[in-house]
Amino acid sequence: MSALLAIEDLRVTFNTRYGQVTALDGVSLHVNAGETLGVVGESGCGKSITALATMGLIPMPPGRIAGGSIRLEGEELVGAAPARMRGLRGADIAMIFQEPMTSLNPVFTVGAQIAEAIMLHQKVSPDQAFKDAIALLDRVGIPSPDARARDYPHQLSGGMRQRVMIAMAVSCRPKVLIADEPTTALDVTVQAQIFDLLNEIQRDFGAAIILITHDMGAISEMADRVAVMYAGRVIEEAQADDVLDFPQHPYARGLIDCIPALGREDHALREIPGVVPPLHLLGAGCAFADRCEHTNARCKTEKPLLAAHGHHPAACHAVEEGRI
Amino acid sequence: MTDQTTQSSYKAESPALEAWRMFRRNIPALVGVALLAVIVGATLYGTFFYAGDPFEVVWAPHEPPGVTPDFPLGTDYLGRNLMAGMLTGGGPTLTVGAAAAAITMVIGITLGALAGYYGGWVDNLLMRITEFFQVLPALLFAMVLVTLFSPSLWTIAIAIGVVSWPQTARLTRAEFLKIKELEYVTAARAIGARNKRIIWRVILPNAMPPLIVSATLTIGVAILFEAGLSFLGLGDPNVMSWGLMIGANREYILDAWWPVTFPGLAIFFTVFAVSLIGDGLNDAFNPKLRER
Repeated sequence: MSALLAIEDLRVTFNTRYGQVTALDGVSLHVNAGETLGVVGESGCGKSITALATMGLIPMPPGRIAGGSIRLEGEELVGAAPARMRGLRGADIAMIFQEPMTSLNPVFTVGAQIAEAIMLHQKVSPDQAFKDAIALLDRVGIPSPDARARDYPHQLSGGMRQRVMIAMAVSCRPKVLIADEPTTALDVTVQAQIFDLLNEIQRDFGAAIILITHDMGAISEMADRVAVMYAGRVIEEAQADDVLDFPQHPYARGLIDCIPALGREDHALREIPGVVPPLHLLGAGCAFADRCEHTNARCKTEKPLLAAHGHHPAACHAVEEGRI
Repeated sequence: MTDQTTQSSYKAESPALEAWRMFRRNIPALVGVALLAVIVGATLYGTFFYAGDPFEVVWAPHEPPGVTPDFPLGTDYLGRNLMAGMLTGGGPTLTVGAAAAAITMVIGITLGALAGYYGGWVDNLLMRITEFFQVLPALLFAMVLVTLFSPSLWTIAIAIGVVSWPQTARLTRAEFLKIKELEYVTAARAIGARNKRIIWRVILPNAMPPLIVSATLTIGVAILFEAGLSFLGLGDPNVMSWGLMIGANREYILDAWWPVTFPGLAIFFTVFAVSLIGDGLNDAFNPKLRER
């Protein structure tokens, strides 16, 4: 069975004052209908760029899709006509953003904004669209949706606004729902509610979800499969349980070691030293080499490829050589 | 639901109603409305109560105000009725002011929005055109336009509009540059909105507060501009306006203060009223201030 959404060898470059940098360096991902793919990594790893590229929203210039393909049900999206992409956005691929505080238009009521999203893709009267918007607000668990639909975004809490964003995103029953750190800006209790809601929505609508996050807890809660990204590449990919229980790549191990465990006071949290290197300073070797304790000469000169050496695919010479 | 919500106690209303709720609590703005209503009312209906030809010589020149009951504001250097001039002179001034501001806003917002939104060569081209108009001395350019096309209310309004739009264009562009980077614009794109909709329905409403203030200031400036042109003798000579009255009587200000002072005060209070309203609108249209 071919995947619902398949990204293959995607390359995205940006022109910056440091010259051309490669933000995505051959990223391949896929997600099937009804499945949740978790994409994890630190800030600046290319997670959001991957999402924007899929939506056709990379700012060009300075960005450019230098190669690869993005296929939705077999249809090529890279280089698709702008009008076609506009028709797909919101209808077949929808996106939930990180900051519910700033991703709603402050001067319109939330009901009007959801109704507008509906009317962009469906031929319905404004009255009907507003009724549909109220039904969606009810569906995403907003109490007294009738009254809330007439509220402005600033009158709602962060969790409520994220529910509104989800209502807007699922208004046209998209096949793929991209959630870009949907809970980062929310309280922990609200985070759990949003995850429950996303799971419910997925069951009801059968959408594939791409969950972008740096929160391993979110991954364990939501994801079926996980792709770990680092410096514009996928460095490890497997079933969620496999990555969580048997991380291969030193970076994935580091991410898992960063999770605090309740009731284990002896467990000192380990941090990953250093930060993601600036993209214009990436050399020939492994991008993680400078932060890795298993680095040897080969790591500094040769980029490791994603291949199954140990438990599941990882892009690491140390794993390949059996050193860890 | 355990989700905590900021439940507002009042029922949400349409944006216009909410703006009005804010506006009517703003005392200075209401003073502005009252003042403008008196001025507009006097220019529209004043002649029903006090008929008189502003051009006709009816009395001795430089009759002081309050001496002859028939001419409560006195007469000018030719012996023309100042009260008649005041009542009929407001219409042209206000019409030209409003029309010029409308022209300014239409040109300025359109070009500024396109430049700010699309950027790149569109921005470059439009901003060079804007700068070209901005470096022209505005009054001189307006004078040339008015003298090229015979002075009438419309040519004056168009001339003022053509010289004042660059500021509005630059302000609009700056707002668009700022707002187009915000997440809700990306979110609008993500639901499949086209550029036209994003420009006019997403960004422009959010850019309105400073533009509304700018528009009201433009009305004030346009009124002053019209007065200036009339003062220089470039107004429509067949239409009595406040500016024309000031211009005609300016040489005799040491002999008689009133023919210049009354139209001057009228212009001052009109611009003042419009500015107060502009400030009030600015507050009223800002959703963040509504809850207070």
